[in-house]
Amino acid sequence: MKVTFPHLGTMHIFCKAIAETAQIPYIVPPETSRKTLTLGVQQSNECICLPFKIILGNFIEALQMGADTIVMVGSGPPCRLGLYDLVQKVILEDMGLHYRWLTIPPRLTWEALWKNYEETKELKKELSLKNILLFPYGLYMGWKKMMACEALEKLAAKVRPKEMRKGETQSRLKKALHWVDEAKNPKALREALQRGMVYLEETEQDFSRNPFRIALVGELYTVMDPHINRGVEQKLGELGAEVTRTSWFSTHILRSLRKNKADRDSDRGRFLEASKAYLGYDVGAECNVSIGEAILRSKEGYDGVVHLMPFACMPETTASGILTQVSKDHDIPILTLILDEQEVEGRILTLLEAFIEMLQWKRNTASVFPAA
Amino acid sequence: MEAKHRIGIPRCLMFYRYYPFWQTFFERLGWKVVVSDGVGKKGTIIYFEDSCLPMKLLVTHSMDLVGKVEYLFVPRLVSLHPSFIMCPKFRGAPDIIRFATEGRASVIDETIDLRERETSLLRSFLRIGQRLGASKKESQRAFQEASSVLLRFQMEWTNRINLLPTRKIFEMDVPTPLTQKKESPLQVALIGHPYNLFDVDINKDILGLMKDLGMEILTSDSLTEAEIDRQISGLSKEIYWSSGREIVGSLFHFLRERVDGVIFLTSFKCGIDALLQEFIKRRLRVQRENETPFLILSFDEHTEREGLITRLEAFGDLMEQRKQSLQVTNVPSPQRL
Repeated sequence: MKVTFPHLGTMHIFCKAIAETAQIPYIVPPETSRKTLTLGVQQSNECICLPFKIILGNFIEALQMGADTIVMVGSGPPCRLGLYDLVQKVILEDMGLHYRWLTIPPRLTWEALWKNYEETKELKKELSLKNILLFPYGLYMGWKKMMACEALEKLAAKVRPKEMRKGETQSRLKKALHWVDEAKNPKALREALQRGMVYLEETEQDFSRNPFRIALVGELYTVMDPHINRGVEQKLGELGAEVTRTSWFSTHILRSLRKNKADRDSDRGRFLEASKAYLGYDVGAECNVSIGEAILRSKEGYDGVVHLMPFACMPETTASGILTQVSKDHDIPILTLILDEQEVEGRILTLLEAFIEMLQWKRNTASVFPAA
Repeated sequence: MEAKHRIGIPRCLMFYRYYPFWQTFFERLGWKVVVSDGVGKKGTIIYFEDSCLPMKLLVTHSMDLVGKVEYLFVPRLVSLHPSFIMCPKFRGAPDIIRFATEGRASVIDETIDLRERETSLLRSFLRIGQRLGASKKESQRAFQEASSVLLRFQMEWTNRINLLPTRKIFEMDVPTPLTQKKESPLQVALIGHPYNLFDVDINKDILGLMKDLGMEILTSDSLTEAEIDRQISGLSKEIYWSSGREIVGSLFHFLRERVDGVIFLTSFKCGIDALLQEFIKRRLRVQRENETPFLILSFDEHTEREGLITRLEAFGDLMEQRKQSLQVTNVPSPQRL
């Protein structure tokens, strides 16, 4: 048995940690590249969303490398993500690739657990007692690594707009993430994180700068994965903007565990509440959160919002329409970037540069005419 | 009863399934129902967001009605089935209309969610009635009448679509012609969302074109829910959009029934269709059972009628040839129900 999982931001680091700690054989798919995307595009059609194509590409590459068991996060209605597995399974079958599929239930319900049990029944025969006993420890390591990755990424977003040499933060972040990836036990991980944080802080910075504050909102795959969004977060940072995003693995995992559902004070709860003025119903996925976050960020004095969505994404299409209205009502610049495989090098960079220049212009006029 | 005021219904989306119901309900409450004209000859489509064509048409039709009516009926259709849901775009549709019309129209945006309880549909319409100033009793009576009108309409469905021009199908004062029993050479199943099938602004009147070519049209409306459920019961995961279930279920049904051909109509950028289209294609290929001609037609605002005619003619020839070759090789012609 060789387990594999799709790429999504830094997910491979902690998925790998789980498998490694529990001593389950695994294959990390090659880093998402042009080839991955091409494979995914060839095996789907133009109106299917970009995450579908990239995940499919990851799976094809991993299966060709010898993996045989796919672990995939499940999801529910109303967005298409919930039916990815139905379609991807039949596509892989049609391509003549052999696989076994294991869905991680999106919500912990009895029904989902039962289905999970059914799916894992076969797999369990191949696992030794040692694997099973080590699995909780693996989950613990995975969770710790995930939190470490998020801490590093959050710090990098703060450092990046102030860096003296363009691109230095990114290379330091990469190194720090690599240290986290290498750590084999909790103690080593703590040290790696500590070392990484210090290393990032040591980036030569110009503290006199006053970076723009930009919130990154939108569909979670496009927000979280730099391969899907072509490094929007990094590009914005290097153009001199401090990027805040609320879409992290931990937020989504906690949400599906229903940990922060009762907590009305959580960011997500606040955003959903704020979106009610614009949307009378929960449209699903991140639509309402995108809108609510844009509204609240404008009140918190952010300079702008960048909204990311895959082409033809159903909930975010509604969001993009309403965000134009939010932008007018709350006087906050919002840039919607629609992403798909038709990407010309430089398109996104040009758009972002223009956006930043516009923010600069807005800031200058505001200082000249404070009343306006 | 004299008409009090006017209520506008955009001629798009689920209009193409529930119009008889909506019309009867509002008329019984004493309102005059005004239906939008559509994009007309000029074909100007008003955009609000970069959505699929049917959603763009909703904006266009609503804008057409603004100023002509007191209320605009754009319900928030969350679910029209006790356990399955509609496309997520329907959930935001009334809000989109509210912003697109810039508050110039009063939108009746009652949420219709049949998952809540058995009587949710009635409850939603009672609330609508209340908003229009009708008493509970009046609304109840109107609801009942509307339900029976819809039922009658659905029974006459196959005759209506085959014997009436497309634009007249939903004109309730046009009576359904009686069946003229003529042996139709080709039986073709049309599958897709109801608005893709019957909205001439989307599909350039494909129904008319098909009838001109002598095809008899079957749609999923003639199938029972139980039959659709049966056809897709074996899937590894439940499809949770009711329209998606209908599309996949009726496709499998018609293929098994051995109709002469199946045409799947989709709109460009329709999320549900894009995913299911891939699923259907792959599944048919994996199973290797299907020999029935199957055509997928995708529509957007640039679709031209001429191109459509060519493709339909070619598809017709294909079906014709296949039928003849089946007869020549003496394969017993498959049974039809």
